[in-house]
Amino acid sequence: MFNREWKKGSAELLVLSFLESRPRHGYEIGKLIEVHSKRRIAFRIGSLYPVLCRLEQRGLISGRWIEKPGERRRRYYRLTREGRRFLADERSAWEEFVATVNRLLSSNYA
Amino acid sequence: MPDWLKYVRQHLALPDCPPEREAEIVEELAQQLDDAYGEGLQSGLGEREALLAAERHVSDWPALANDLMHGGIGQTKGVQRRRLRQYAARASGRRPPSTAVPGREPENDTRRIAALLDAFRQDLHYAARALAKKPLFTFVAIVTLVIGIGVNTAIFSVVDAVLLRPLPYPESGRLAVVWSVLGKEGRAPSSGPELVSLRERSRLFDQFAGIWVQGGALTGKGEPEQVKLGLVTSNFLSLLRTRPERGRFFLPRDEGGGAAPVIVLSHELWQRRYGADPKIVGQSVLLSGQSCTVVGVLPSGFKLIFPEGASVPPKIDVYVPFQWDLAGQSPDQGYIRVIARLRAGATLPQGQAELDNIAGELRSEFRDYAEQNLHLQVLSLQADAAHNVRPALLALFAGTGFVLLISCANVAMLILSRADERRNEITVRAALGADPGRIIRQLLTESLLLSCLGGAAALAISWAILRILWVLQPAGIARTAPTGLNLTVLGFNLIVSLLCGILFGLSPALKSRATNLASVVRDATRTATENTHWSRQLLIGCEVALTFVLLTSSALLVRTFVGLLRVDPGFNPNDVLTFQVSLPDARYPTPARAIQFIREAERRLSTLPGVQSVGVVSHLPFDDNLPNWYDYFWREGAPKQERNTRMADHRSVLPGFFDSLGITFVAGRNFNTSDEVANRKVVIVDDSLAKQLWPDGDAIGKRLNVENGDFVRDVAEVVGIVKHVQYHSLTDQVRPQLYLPYAMAVRANMSFTVRAGSSPQLLIPSIRREMARLDKDLPVANVRLMDDYVADARMGARFVTVLCGALGAIALLLSCIGIYGVTSSSVTTRTREMGVRMALGAQQGTLMVTVLCGSMPPVIAGCVLGLALSRGMTPLLSTLPFEVQPVDPAILASVLTFLGFVGLSASFLPIQRVIRGNPITALRCE
Repeated sequence: MFNREWKKGSAELLVLSFLESRPRHGYEIGKLIEVHSKRRIAFRIGSLYPVLCRLEQRGLISGRWIEKPGERRRRYYRLTREGRRFLADERSAWEEFVATVNRLLSSNYA
Repeated sequence: MPDWLKYVRQHLALPDCPPEREAEIVEELAQQLDDAYGEGLQSGLGEREALLAAERHVSDWPALANDLMHGGIGQTKGVQRRRLRQYAARASGRRPPSTAVPGREPENDTRRIAALLDAFRQDLHYAARALAKKPLFTFVAIVTLVIGIGVNTAIFSVVDAVLLRPLPYPESGRLAVVWSVLGKEGRAPSSGPELVSLRERSRLFDQFAGIWVQGGALTGKGEPEQVKLGLVTSNFLSLLRTRPERGRFFLPRDEGGGAAPVIVLSHELWQRRYGADPKIVGQSVLLSGQSCTVVGVLPSGFKLIFPEGASVPPKIDVYVPFQWDLAGQSPDQGYIRVIARLRAGATLPQGQAELDNIAGELRSEFRDYAEQNLHLQVLSLQADAAHNVRPALLALFAGTGFVLLISCANVAMLILSRADERRNEITVRAALGADPGRIIRQLLTESLLLSCLGGAAALAISWAILRILWVLQPAGIARTAPTGLNLTVLGFNLIVSLLCGILFGLSPALKSRATNLASVVRDATRTATENTHWSRQLLIGCEVALTFVLLTSSALLVRTFVGLLRVDPGFNPNDVLTFQVSLPDARYPTPARAIQFIREAERRLSTLPGVQSVGVVSHLPFDDNLPNWYDYFWREGAPKQERNTRMADHRSVLPGFFDSLGITFVAGRNFNTSDEVANRKVVIVDDSLAKQLWPDGDAIGKRLNVENGDFVRDVAEVVGIVKHVQYHSLTDQVRPQLYLPYAMAVRANMSFTVRAGSSPQLLIPSIRREMARLDKDLPVANVRLMDDYVADARMGARFVTVLCGALGAIALLLSCIGIYGVTSSSVTTRTREMGVRMALGAQQGTLMVTVLCGSMPPVIAGCVLGLALSRGMTPLLSTLPFEVQPVDPAILASVLTFLGFVGLSASFLPIQRVIRGNPITALRCE
């Protein structure tokens, strides 16, 4: 398991990236992060839900109640145009940050 | 299966989060927890373990709530912090710190606006629910407001159409009307030389133009038709900036002696008589026997808007340029109604100063003008066109304002009584930490919602009122565009509705601030606070005062109108049929031909079965379609300074006129054939002229200098004195009258007055037949009953009176309901006190006096205030276009008695119930 602060800092970016391909509901997003990180990053509902609310409030994602046959209705989130732009910017910034940190870590000055 | 919704609701507290949003959050969290629980079961966990695993997803509910609130779902962080600070301050009894946030970021502002909008939506929702819960209260309040706002909107739309909206001409703000003011006679039309001088000397006006309306006959193809002719200067139509629909307007070369006769047709005449012939321009038509070329057609809907009394009707069929040289005419002949267009940038006061100078120059250069003491007056065309109806409209508008205030007072009292009922609710909300501003906002939203609902419903009422006004329309209002509901009126309605909402909602809302828990607990047994008691007293006082003024004014106007119905116009209009003919110069070139025709027509008509008498006159009473004929008169041999000082209406008549209209002779005799045989110049005057010149009553046989029909002065002997006839208005004596025999004053436009034994309308076919036999090309026009002219003259007064009467009645009804409701409810709140007093042995009389001492002071104070205000109204009412009698003690006493009676019975009836009932019941009353 990673440092809590790292997790907290990357939560928004992760949520946005999992919404890039298609709309998903909140629990599904958490589950996907957990599965794809091989359970090394896991968010509880209590931590992930405020992130969703915050992103929606900022207009980066938008939620909609969808009722599928035989199921109770669920709130599905999708990326807004704003969110897509934000994700692209943040993703390249993150990569640059990680590369910079890696470079610094692997250098002799560290 | 666990109930996750219930579980989340039990654990998650989201204060200040909008209820709908809170429900969504609860549902979504419950859904996710359910997903987690399902997954646990699927992975082989037992129910208990799966439940615990799901519950572990949210281990710190307050932290989650905090995260969510900070995430901006309900309130922004700032609002949340401020709320916490205020809460802390309230708890410690300190004043809350300043809520100003320096350097707020734009994003925060957007959030703040969103939060405000959201709060407003909540308030609105809450207000709608609160109103729906009390349907009777809501219904009564809305009906009251509909009456108040409805009459206001209706009268405003008339005010807007008549006084505010610009005239339907381009740049109409620069249009002005110019009057000649002659000595004591007041304003009069101008003469040709005056118009020419104005054109030559003025620098501040672009143009001056003139019009004189006459009657004419269109003959040739089709039935002969009498038409209204607008004789105009060549620039008249172009000055109004109207564009011809076809052809052109007049050019300077069309005006003056020797010019080829050309005419412009109105759109309506072109359509009616010429079937909208596209080739009409260039064709010749026979107008009054003269062949004229049509050069243009006016656009549809074009009308002239001139002041009432200017003798320029809105619809004129044919325009003809003046066929004479204006400069060469006598300065005595004032007949031209002059309009002008101010230069861009020039103002009316500047224009008036310039005309004052020009009038001064004319007086010093020409003896005639000096003798007439000529002045020139320039007025805005729009203001002058409405000058007759303006006072009446403003008085009505003020009246509707009073009705609106009374409605507001009633609704305020309703809300106040409801505020008493809601005191507990408000106090509990405040004690639980609700922001006082929020409570005020909530109460205000309620009253605004109420007033807007009332305002919307009022639109329907005002539309209906406008339809009724349309039936009652007096001439001054008919002159302008048809009134309806437009954007200005809708805007007015909205503003009035919002103002009403604030007016009647503010006081109860502010009162809610003064409420505190301690006082509610302390006064648990009382239902009204001292505060609301005083507000009600004040409202009742104001309402009584407003009603007093409205009732007094309405009573006065109604009495004046009843007086108008009874006023003697100086003649008997019943069973008299009238019609007009206009003898064309071409076929009646000499006076002898005209005299012969008119005489023969009179003779033949009087032989028709059912006809009692026939008369002919140049101007009918109350007929404003043709220009009035009035001029100076003086005793023969009067010194020069006496000559141009007195004016009289001149009328050319056949002897039968006096008999057919039932005009009584005070002294002397009628015209007779011997006058003509002997070629004697004779005149009949009315009693007021006789009194002016010969106060000793010896007028008969005296000689008078008058103007005959040819604008030439003549001396005639007074042979008879008749009673004064009201020619222009039912109440004002404008000028005295003198009558000249037709043979001495031949005029082209003459009106016949035919008195029938009964049903004069039945005579119309035989009259038309007889006239056609005499001259088949002469149209018989304006066939109307004399009664209709008199009814028209009463129209203006009827309009104001019916509306004022209706306003008075509405005000009376509203304030009776208001005064009775409030007084009786404040008496009812004292039922328990009465019970105690009765149980302790108080006398019934003493109880009665105690109650009356409490409830009557505001009524009495209101009456005193109303009395003072209605004294102030008298000068305002005297500006109305008909004579209003002064306020008399009888009216004041009746209004006082009536309002006193309402106040007394409102207190008396409820207390009577208490006294007659069982004291124990009263004691038990809460």
